[in-house]
Amino acid sequence: MTLALPAQKEGRRTFKVDFSVPVLLTFAALLCVLILLPISWLVMYSLSEVDPATKERVFTLAQFRTLFSDPDLVEPLITTMIVAISSSVACCLVAAPMGWLVARTDMPMTKVIRALVTASFVTPPFLGAIAWEILAAPNSGLLNKLYRFLTGAEMDAYLFNIYSMPGLIFVIACYTFPYVFVLVANALDRIPGDLEDASSILGAGTWTTARRVTIPLVLPALLAGALVAFLQAMILFGSPAILALPAGFHTMTTKIWSLFQYPPKPELAAAASLPLLFLTVMLLRGQQMILGRKGYSIVGGKSGEPRLIRLGWFVVPAMAFVVIVLMLPVFLPYFALLNAAFSPIATNLVTSATFTMKNFHFTFFELSTTQLALKNTFILGAASATIGTVLALVISYATARKAITGYRVLGFLATAPIAIPGIVLGVGLFLAYTRPPFVLYGTLWVLLIAYITIELPAAYQQLQSAFRAVHPELEDASRILGATRLRSLRDVTAPLLRTSVLATWCFIFVSTVRELSAAIMLFTSETKVVSVLIFDLKESGDLGAIAILGLSMLVLTFTVVIFINRLPGFGSSGLRNT
Amino acid sequence: MASVELRDLTKRYGSNAVVDDISLTIAHGSLVCLLGPSGCGKTTTLRLIAGFVEPTAGEIRVGDQQVSSPQRTLPPERRNMSMIFQSYALWPHMTVAENITYGLKLRKIDTATTKRKLEAILATTRLAPLASRYPGELSGGQQQRVALARALIVEPETLLLDEPLSNLDANLREEMRFEIRRLHDEYRYTTIYVTHDQSEAMTTADVICVMNGGKIEQAGSPEDIYDRPNSEFVARFIGMSNVVRGKTLAEGRVDFSGVPLRVSNATVQRSGDTAVSIRQHSIRLMAKEPAEKENVVPATVVRQVFLGSSRDYLVEVADGTQLRVVTPASDAVAAGSNVWLHLPHESCRALSA
Repeated sequence: MTLALPAQKEGRRTFKVDFSVPVLLTFAALLCVLILLPISWLVMYSLSEVDPATKERVFTLAQFRTLFSDPDLVEPLITTMIVAISSSVACCLVAAPMGWLVARTDMPMTKVIRALVTASFVTPPFLGAIAWEILAAPNSGLLNKLYRFLTGAEMDAYLFNIYSMPGLIFVIACYTFPYVFVLVANALDRIPGDLEDASSILGAGTWTTARRVTIPLVLPALLAGALVAFLQAMILFGSPAILALPAGFHTMTTKIWSLFQYPPKPELAAAASLPLLFLTVMLLRGQQMILGRKGYSIVGGKSGEPRLIRLGWFVVPAMAFVVIVLMLPVFLPYFALLNAAFSPIATNLVTSATFTMKNFHFTFFELSTTQLALKNTFILGAASATIGTVLALVISYATARKAITGYRVLGFLATAPIAIPGIVLGVGLFLAYTRPPFVLYGTLWVLLIAYITIELPAAYQQLQSAFRAVHPELEDASRILGATRLRSLRDVTAPLLRTSVLATWCFIFVSTVRELSAAIMLFTSETKVVSVLIFDLKESGDLGAIAILGLSMLVLTFTVVIFINRLPGFGSSGLRNT
Repeated sequence: MASVELRDLTKRYGSNAVVDDISLTIAHGSLVCLLGPSGCGKTTTLRLIAGFVEPTAGEIRVGDQQVSSPQRTLPPERRNMSMIFQSYALWPHMTVAENITYGLKLRKIDTATTKRKLEAILATTRLAPLASRYPGELSGGQQQRVALARALIVEPETLLLDEPLSNLDANLREEMRFEIRRLHDEYRYTTIYVTHDQSEAMTTADVICVMNGGKIEQAGSPEDIYDRPNSEFVARFIGMSNVVRGKTLAEGRVDFSGVPLRVSNATVQRSGDTAVSIRQHSIRLMAKEPAEKENVVPATVVRQVFLGSSRDYLVEVADGTQLRVVTPASDAVAAGSNVWLHLPHESCRALSA
C-alpha cells in the first residue's frame, strides 16, 4: 500500500480559539441569575422592612423576632417538626421491614411489589391527599360511609378523620416511604452474600446473622432514608394545604403561602423561608456524610448471590403486611380517584346505573380554565425540558471532560438548587422578578425559570453519569483518525448519549407537570398550570374534575416512566416530589 | 519520510513535571517502545505526540514540520497519525465494518476503494466473518484486532499504541505481540508503543526507551538495555537483576563483601561507593569451594524454591546482602547450606547511578 493522503501543508496554522473563558462566564452568570438572585432577595427581604416615614428599606431583625415569638408563626414551626419527625419514623417502621422482605427473603412477587412502590413514588402527593379526602373525610369519606353501613352507627359518627394531624402525618408517610424503601432495598441488594456466609460459617444462625451483620450494614442507608423522609415531609406544600388548612392548623409551607395572601407580608415570608432553606442544606449534608462514610462502603471483589432467607409459614403475615402497606398509598386512593371520575357525586360509589362521562366532558369542554392550564403546562413542560436538558448537557460535558478550567464551580452551581425547597424558591423568585430589571411576574417566564432551576440538579446528575459512561478515549479515537472536536461529538458522543438525553428530557417534562410548591407562589390567572388548577378546583369542591385531571396526569407519568425504563441501558431513577 | 523528533519536550501540571525535558529522535519506519512503571510519563509523552496534550516547553517535529510547541499545537485530527487505545475505544454503536471504515469516511475516500481496503484489512486481521457484528459481541482479542484494523486502514505515517495488550490474557498477549510486529514490518510506518511490560517491549521494539520520573533513563536496542543497563533503575526495572554496592577499588574493581569484584566496564572510576548489577541467572552457585578464586563469594542459602524448569535461590553473603540466583533445576542445595557464588566478571556491570 502507498500513502494515499496528501501531505500536511507546512504553515497551515491552527489558531487556538480559547472558548473556555467566555463559556464558563456565560454559564456561571446564567446559573448565578437562576440561583443567587432569588436567594439574595430572600435574605435581603428577611433582614429589612420599609420605614413608613421615609418609604425606604432599612435593616432590621424584627422579622426574625416575630418569627420566633409570635405564636402564629411558632406554632407552624412546631407542627412542621412534629409532622416531619412522626412521618419519618412511620416511614422507617414500614419501609425497613418491607425492604428486607423484598430484598432478602423468598417472598413471592417481589418485582410486582417493587413496581407498586414505584407507583406510589410517582403519585403526586397532593393528588394522594385529595384521594384520601375522598376516602376518609369525616362525613363524606367512603371509608367512613362503609363503617356506618357496617355498624349502623349514627349519621355523624366516623372512624377516620383525615383533617387532623395524624391524618396529615399518615398521608405524608404514604408518599414518602418509597424514599426509605428504595434506599434500604438497594443497600440490601448490594450487600454481598459472602458477608452473611462468613458469619454463618463461624456459627451464627440465620437470625443472629441478620441482627449482627445484615442490619448494621444497612443502618446508614436507613438513617439516610429517615433524613430524606424528614426533608420531604418538611418541604411538602400540597398535602398540608389540602388537609391541615380545613383542620385549622398550619405547617411552615402553608404559613409561608398564607403570608402572601391579602394583606401580603413578603418580609415575614422571606424570614420564614430561611429556616427551611437552612434545615434542607443541613439535612442533605447529613445524608451525604452518612452515605459517604468509607467504613460502611462494602469492600471486596466478586461475591456470590445473597442467600434468601426462607420465610416458611411466616410468608402469610408478611404478605398481608405488604398488601396493606401498598393498599394505603396505591390501591385505595386510585380506586377513590377512579370512582370520583366516573360518578356523579365523588363520594358515592359508582354503579352501572350512575356511571357517567359528565365529569370528563365538564373538565375538558366546559371548564374554561382547563384548556389554558393544559396549554400552559404543555408549553412550560416542553420548554423547561428542552432548555434544562441543553443546559445540563453543556455543563455535564464541561465537568465530565474537564473541558474548561473552573468546571467544578459550574458543577457546584448546577447541583445547588437541590437544597432549595420549591416553596422557598417560589418566594425568592417572586421577590426577584416583581421589580426591575426583570419584571417577569405574571408571565410564563418566571415559571419557566422556577422549573428549570428545580429540575437542573437531577438532570445534571443523570447526564453527568451518562457522560462518565462514555470513555473519553472513544472521542480521542475519532480525533486521531481525522475528525474535528465537533465532528467527534456528532459521530460518537451524540449517538451514545441519545437515550440518556431522551430520558432526561422526559423526566424534566413529567416533574414539571407535577410541580405545585413553586407554581402556587408564582401563578396568575393567565399563567395557571394543571397542578394549580387541581388545587383551585379543590377549593371549589369539584372532586370529579380533579379526579379526571389527576388521572390524566398519572397516565402521562406512568407512560413516560414505563417508556424510559424500556429504553435500552437505562434504569429508573428518582423523581423529585414537591 | 516521517521521522518523529522530540526536542526538550516538557509537560508540567502546576509545578509537577510529568514529562521532563525529553529529547528523542525516532527514525522513519522504526518501532520504538516507551517502557516504564506507571506514572513515569510515558502515556503523557504519547498523548503529547498525538496532540491531545499541549507541551509546556520544547517541541515535536514530524518530518520537517513542527506539530507541537507551547505556542501552537496542530490538533490530533490533522497529524495523519493513528492510535490504539488501552480501552480499544471501539464505538459501541457502530459495527466492526463501520468502526474500521470511519477514518476513510472522514477522508472522503470513494465507496469502491473503501470496500477494497476494508476487505484487505479484514483478511489481514482475520476479521472477515465478523464485519457486521457490534464490538460488544466480540471477545477481547477480536476487539483488539478491530482496533488494530481501524488504526491501520488509514495508512498512517505514525502509529501510536497505548498499552494495547494490557487487557488481554497471557496467551493472547503473546500472539498479539507478534501480530503487531508483523503488521509493522509489512507496512513500515513509524510506531511508538507504550507499555510497562518489559517482555512486551523486548519482543516488539527496535529501540526501547526506559522512562522514569518524566525522563528517559536509557534508550537503546533491547540487547543494550538488557545486557548493558547504565543505571540502577534500568537494571532493576528490566528485571531479574541483583544490584549490590561496595567501595570502589582501583583497576575496575569493587569491594563486595570483602571480595575485590572485577567488573566488565573498567572505565567507571569513581571514589566512594559503586553499584554493580548482575543478572540472577548469570551467577553460578556451587556447593563446593572452587579452586579459582576470582569473583567468588561465599554465601549461605536462605531458602530455595523449585520452579519446574529452574530453581530460585535466596542467598546471603557475609556482609548481610541478599542475592537472588536462578540455577538449573538439577542444582539442589538445602536451605542453611554453605555455597560459593561465582559472579563472572563479564556479567558484572558497574552502574552510573
